[in-house]
Amino acid sequence: MASNSIKLDEIRESRSELENHHIDELVAGRISRRDFVRKGAVIGMSSSLLAAVLSACGSANNSSTASSTTAATGTPKQGGTLRLAQQAPTAAINPLTISDAGGLNMLAQTGDFLILDNNQLLTLQPMLATSWTPSNSGSVWTFKLRPNVKFHNGQPFTAKDVVYTFKQLADPKNASNALSTFTSVLTPDGVVMVDPMTVAFHLEAPNGNFPYLVSSDNYNAIIVPDGTDFSKWQSTFIGTGPFTLKSYTQNVGASFVANPNYWAGKPYLDSTSFTFYSSQPPQILALQGGQVDGIVQFTAQGAQSLLNNASSYNLIKLKSANHRELSMRNDQAPFTDARVRQAVALTLNRPEMISALLLGYGQLGNDSPFGPRFPSSDLSIPQRAQDIAKAKSLLAAAGHSGGISAHLTTEQYQEIPALAQVIKADAAKAGINISLTVESQTAYYGKATYGNSDWLDAQMSLVDYGDRGVPNVFLEAPLTSNGSWNAARFKNPTYDSLVKQYVASIDLSTQRQIAGKITNLLLQETPIVIPYFIDGLTATKTNVHGVNPTSISAIYLNKAYVS
Amino acid sequence: MAIFILKRVGLALVTLWILSVIVFFLGQILPGDPARAILGPLAAPNAVHALDQQLGTNRPVLTQYWSWISHFVHGDLGTSYTYDSAVGPLVWKALGHSLELAIVAFVVVVPLGILGGVWAALAAGKRRDRVISILGLSTTVLPELVTGIVLIVVFGIALNVLPFSATWPPGASLPTQLYHLILPAAVLVLILFGYIEQMARAGTIEALNSDYARTAILKGLPRRTVIRRHILRNSLLPTITVIATQVGYLIGGLVVVETLFHYQGIGSLIVNAATAKDFPMLEGGVLVIGIVYMVATLVADIVYTLLNPRIRFQAAE
Repeated sequence: MASNSIKLDEIRESRSELENHHIDELVAGRISRRDFVRKGAVIGMSSSLLAAVLSACGSANNSSTASSTTAATGTPKQGGTLRLAQQAPTAAINPLTISDAGGLNMLAQTGDFLILDNNQLLTLQPMLATSWTPSNSGSVWTFKLRPNVKFHNGQPFTAKDVVYTFKQLADPKNASNALSTFTSVLTPDGVVMVDPMTVAFHLEAPNGNFPYLVSSDNYNAIIVPDGTDFSKWQSTFIGTGPFTLKSYTQNVGASFVANPNYWAGKPYLDSTSFTFYSSQPPQILALQGGQVDGIVQFTAQGAQSLLNNASSYNLIKLKSANHRELSMRNDQAPFTDARVRQAVALTLNRPEMISALLLGYGQLGNDSPFGPRFPSSDLSIPQRAQDIAKAKSLLAAAGHSGGISAHLTTEQYQEIPALAQVIKADAAKAGINISLTVESQTAYYGKATYGNSDWLDAQMSLVDYGDRGVPNVFLEAPLTSNGSWNAARFKNPTYDSLVKQYVASIDLSTQRQIAGKITNLLLQETPIVIPYFIDGLTATKTNVHGVNPTSISAIYLNKAYVS
Repeated sequence: MAIFILKRVGLALVTLWILSVIVFFLGQILPGDPARAILGPLAAPNAVHALDQQLGTNRPVLTQYWSWISHFVHGDLGTSYTYDSAVGPLVWKALGHSLELAIVAFVVVVPLGILGGVWAALAAGKRRDRVISILGLSTTVLPELVTGIVLIVVFGIALNVLPFSATWPPGASLPTQLYHLILPAAVLVLILFGYIEQMARAGTIEALNSDYARTAILKGLPRRTVIRRHILRNSLLPTITVIATQVGYLIGGLVVVETLFHYQGIGSLIVNAATAKDFPMLEGGVLVIGIVYMVATLVADIVYTLLNPRIRFQAAE
């Protein structure tokens, strides 16, 4: 024990204040070993450092080190082609504008990010950045870049490329999809080259989770060479990634060959090919018929034949923040009364929803964006469960003993129409009479601004939110007083200030403490209902190993091989 | 004949122009805008604005239409909003795929349908007629999705004898391409067979009961000759019209089959373009189908004329 604390002191001497604080949290037992690794990676502690601290802190029971990727068995086999099925990209492959699952996976094949958010380990791993450190307030983040990396065209990778990429992504004059992340976080002027191998980001406000915003979570942020014309990128796919473009045909497919000079070593595979599909059933059939070796991402519904036969495939299940959000207009009767909103939430049988709609591939939601995917979530808060009697008494207390009527508008997307039916049936048990409108996605979202969108204007609205590495977007846009997607019209100054504190805080125990307060406040007010979080699912044949998918439906193949 | 064809071509051009106007203005009524379709519903408003500016989709509607049509008459189909690449090659390639599938299905189903119909008619009311007609009608009313999935499950997965992805490997030879088209073409054959068979059957029965058929039989012509020279020629007239009207469906209406068999035809191209409000792509796709449809009807009319001396003589007068 004594020798261990001496070791720890040695480590501490050379560490920053923030890192030492994080170590204190672990020593004091305020955070678990697993969370220590996850959060340590965010503030830029290297995996060897994390491992050293963990071993200095005792027990060999280190189930979670931040080292390897997928569980790959046996010796990797060199060579061969991996054939995958995926959703067809719905637009041009332009790193600036890409917003769809199919397109973002194309970026991830030939591009590298500063940081990889490894969804299987739920931790950040260095990619083109080797280390990153925040200023004490968390408003300036400095990234050290990986030396001796080359783009596919032979050009060396430097800070200039990083600065160019992020200036373009953060420029409000550009058609940049990353603006929804960077607005009021980062402006083009905030991206500064410190030296040829160092970049600093000066933020608009302190942000404790900023590394996630420049990681693979922000799928537009692959690093492209300085001066790249984004609209022409689709003819070259130039990045620093493990594969280079062989061919890309709209709506048909893409193929890539291994980059022999990849900084992390040449991939095991010689080449990869992706076949594009516009819907899921043919992808399932193609895997079953052996026409592809795997599916990049699929949803449980409609994949029964595959899931019932799970032993014939390698199934990778990822915890994700992908969720459905039911909003109620807090400014319109009868939902002006929090008791009525609580009553709606109490009618729902969530475990049944997960088993019926997601075939069990989901996690319970507690009407707050803090789900099991985020290390900062306070999961000790009791889960809300179905309680029809309580729902009825809340309605009666609010003066609606005869029940209420409301209208729910939603979109035609995945299991959502079925979920809307279940909500309607559950709510009816407490005398809440819901009528439904299901619209196409374009009609539902409209212009996505207040007054021009059924999504944002309906009395009750049920919408999908895709996965993110941090809950910031879910906390801000749909729930803060000046949020741009506040379909519930929820306005609560206490909530606003809690979110501001959460976003700014850097250490995990503070984040978790505020997260707990936010979840309790949301349970009390219930402006929205989040019934469940949907697991990310990837399936391959059993002879495919080492694939590393993410829950935003990108897949990393540099360590993949076919045996 | 030349004047007849010229008139028809002129009419076709006017129809196509009206079609382009309708597609354009109906497209304006559809909800959503192209930039938001590209950037996704959650994109920041200023990003959407910037992209609309780049694409030119925030210009007045008439300006947009004028700029498109003035390029179109010069043979330039414009640039797809969605894919940021020229519409021409995308549309031609998809049309090529669609034509190939349609031709395979056509070559099988037309003779099969006509033979089946005539054969059934010759035994009208008997068991052979009923078996053919009921089978044909049942496969016709089954949705493509059902026949398609049954064929895939049986021949593609259980027996594992036929590929169910119609997209052949790059650079495949014609036999390989045809091999990949067997299953999707079979779906189309099943759907169209009953239709064509019924028309041919009705036509044949009508012809059989006609005075000229009776005369031919009474004057002692062999049955074979009566059928070939008198019945077939007359019974085929309505069938040809029906076949021509199916061309539009066969080229542009196969979205379900294309999706199921993973085939890049022009049907799914148009549906995708409409959902994304990719106007140049939508116009290009619809007009190309319009042209094919009109050529098909024109050809059908010419064949009709050749088969029907009455019209031929009228035209000559």
